[in-house]
Amino acid sequence: MFVKTKAFMESKLVLDNDIQQIPQLAEFIDGIAEQAGLDMSVSMSLNLAMEEAVSNVMLYAYPQGSKRQVQIDATVQDGTIKFVISDSGIPFDPTAKQDANIDLSVEDRPIGGLGIYMVKQIMDTVNYEYKDGKNILTLTKSIK
Amino acid sequence: MEVTITQTEQSMTAKLVGRLDTPSSQEVSQKLEPLMENADKELILDCTEMSYISSSGLRILLTLRKQAAAKGGKVVILNINDEIRQVFMMTGFLNLFEIKNA
Repeated sequence: MFVKTKAFMESKLVLDNDIQQIPQLAEFIDGIAEQAGLDMSVSMSLNLAMEEAVSNVMLYAYPQGSKRQVQIDATVQDGTIKFVISDSGIPFDPTAKQDANIDLSVEDRPIGGLGIYMVKQIMDTVNYEYKDGKNILTLTKSIK
Repeated sequence: MEVTITQTEQSMTAKLVGRLDTPSSQEVSQKLEPLMENADKELILDCTEMSYISSSGLRILLTLRKQAAAKGGKVVILNINDEIRQVFMMTGFLNLFEIKNA
């Protein structure tokens, strides 16, 4: 059987900074994963990384109660999937955080800090820049 | 996410059905309050029908685990799927929990 895969694909999603919109993000990622022909486990990893990165923006970028947006641009090209997450909230570099120490005992493990750690584990590259009043987080992963 | 709690004299079981993601985590945390209060017993989390977990769900599991460690109880996790096992591996949670797969 001849299967044609798309070499180039681009899509965009804009969400409010409302955590209840995360299911829309999951739907968006699932759609891209399906079109790109990714298997279930890669699709789930991408979902997880994106939920972590985007919910971080939704929860912390803007003052509580203000209705603002977060934009997600996805590109699939040359066997790589790229997500660009941008918001105009307070400047914050999630990549600057020290990696979680996953070898600590139950008593010593801090409760938080695993979100961005998993983003870094799942994706190949995670880059942050603050440009023109915007936080721009770029995530890439090879899907060859 | 659906949470159903059952109990015996020595243990309390919560069956978790669906996605344990950021939007559902606050509600799940509230629903698991009875387990927090019984952390001196055996706490069983039946994850047979849990499809997904993110860091907000991991926080809940770790909070329970810490509470059990402090009160002398234990936490047993039943049946996690391959994707969730991957998340547990990535975060070192495999070493923190007793996991039983049927």
